Amino acid sequence: MKKLAIYTLAAALLGSTLYAVSAAEKAAEPAQAAAPAEAAKEPPVCFESRKGASEVTQKEVKPGLPNVKCSPTTGAALWYGDPYDGTVPMGKMPGLEKLPAGHAVVKPRSEKLALMPMCGTACHNGVGPNANPPTLPKDKRAKPNPTMEAMVPDLANLQHGRGRIWCMDCHHTTKRNMLVDHFGDPISFDQPQLLCGKCHGDKLRDWRDGIHGKRIGEFTSTGKKRWFTCTECHNPHNVQDGARNRGFAQLQPEPPPQLPKGMKDAKHEKLHPIPH
Amino acid sequence: MTTKETPKACPAEEQPSVCTAPPASADPAASAPKTSRRDFLKAGGMLSMSTLMGTAALMTQSDDAHAAAEWAEHFQKNYRLMTDAEKAEARARLERRYSQEYGKQVTVDTTGPQPGVLMGYALNIRKCIGCRRCVHACVAENNQSRGTKPGEKIEWIQVLRMERGKFEQGKMDHGYPEGLGIQVGGNAYTPAGQVLEGQYHYTPEAVPEQDATYMPIACMQCEKPPCVKVCPVRTTYREADGPVVIDYNWCIGCRMCMGACPYWARRINLTSPVLPKEEMNPVTHYLGNRPRMRGVVEKCHWCLQRTRHGRYPACVEVCPVGARKFGNLLDPESEVSKILERKNVFRLKAELNTFPKFFYFYD
Repeated sequence: MKKLAIYTLAAALLGSTLYAVSAAEKAAEPAQAAAPAEAAKEPPVCFESRKGASEVTQKEVKPGLPNVKCSPTTGAALWYGDPYDGTVPMGKMPGLEKLPAGHAVVKPRSEKLALMPMCGTACHNGVGPNANPPTLPKDKRAKPNPTMEAMVPDLANLQHGRGRIWCMDCHHTTKRNMLVDHFGDPISFDQPQLLCGKCHGDKLRDWRDGIHGKRIGEFTSTGKKRWFTCTECHNPHNVQDGARNRGFAQLQPEPPPQLPKGMKDAKHEKLHPIPH
Repeated sequence: MTTKETPKACPAEEQPSVCTAPPASADPAASAPKTSRRDFLKAGGMLSMSTLMGTAALMTQSDDAHAAAEWAEHFQKNYRLMTDAEKAEARARLERRYSQEYGKQVTVDTTGPQPGVLMGYALNIRKCIGCRRCVHACVAENNQSRGTKPGEKIEWIQVLRMERGKFEQGKMDHGYPEGLGIQVGGNAYTPAGQVLEGQYHYTPEAVPEQDATYMPIACMQCEKPPCVKVCPVRTTYREADGPVVIDYNWCIGCRMCMGACPYWARRINLTSPVLPKEEMNPVTHYLGNRPRMRGVVEKCHWCLQRTRHGRYPACVEVCPVGARKFGNLLDPESEVSKILERKNVFRLKAELNTFPKFFYFYD
């Protein structure tokens, strides 16, 4: 009888604890449900090619038609309603004379680079002991500088060109919000292909012919297209990113397909039976 | 359409006077109106026909667009045999039905092949990072079923993850079977380069992985498609501008084409498609991404609703690395023509003589 009483007491205690836990969970649920609802009010921003490069904010271009759809899993752009949203004409490019005017458009990147307007005014403003004429480090190595290292980690050991080039090979010496060509003339950040093509000529040719890189819009050879420029896909400061060392940063993949009916996991997908 | 014709109804009350012959016998016993079996069947047949036609007329004009469309679809021709007027009628009917069903203005395009266009596809096998964005873009564009229960989720593109093999000096003398000294060639039983076996359900933290190569597969839009050859109802056929299409209304779901396709490109929807209203893409094509019914085979058609109007397919537009290329094979300036001219190109399972218009390349 005493045993029974103890069991009853234990059961009651357990029951009350469970009730309390479930009540706490129930209380927490509405709070969790409310959070995504608040987040949904703000238009989602999805990244286009690689994370941290070009981003696009979802909006309606026509009633019921969004300019872009974002992946709920990875936040990547999954579908384009309007491929030309927010683009400007690319400008002149040798070898594209046959293309009708305005049919090659790009998304200006200089607006997206938040710190760029400050480069030429805040620090590299032509004022200071080394400014006129500009004196550059003789060893052509970037000096440790917390501001720059915050933006470009691993600055002192930059691995573009396997460590054989440094900042001023790409950035203009005096106009810091511009890139530089072989003649020392400035190049806009919106046309990085003019800079990259200096060394990667074969890739520039392929890019011009549509073999390398990404384009969206009309597929006909004279159709209107949005061209993705070099830096929208590649990070020039860290081109060898990723475990595969292949020039494109690693990404989180989208979810896998549904498993075949009756299968609980994908263990049936064996690798090659003979190890190699 | 036959269903729109208003039949000469033979109302039930007037059946005896109109539809039966007067008595021929002088016998008063036999003078009462008497119907022969033939007359009875004739009357009955006309009655049922009139009911049927009347219902048809009612259904086509009913407010329920779904019922009207379904009824009319039972009597429509194979899409290839339809006249332009019949196509327009089918289009209007479907637009009405889908708009009502999905609560938005749905358009069903019937644009045919454009002159001077032969679509071609190219994929850079070394660039693909296996991120599966193309797969999900395809689902968003083409109104596939996207339920969570087994068999409800349909994807047309598969991305295959494959191990990388390599030739090694130490393996040069490896043969099979071991110990018998039978030399079958170095590395003969290990993958050297690519073999078509791998994983579809890989889920790493990040792609691309160090020792993997990815191979996306979808419909190859063959020049000699085995699926077209075996279709018993001739519902699937090759369009003049390249893609192999399906007239979903004539598909009987026999899955012969699925068996014949060497590229695992076709899917069948055995459950009622799960397509949320808000996710439905309202820009559709009759032979392309219009919502499919249960029990029909479906597959990639290179986004006909886009490509017939010059737009890139959805998978091309979202590929983050630009591995996917699309163009007009008849235009020497197009991307695909330049790739065929300049790059190392191969076609999958070329030994089967299906002549795909989908080219894999590498540089």
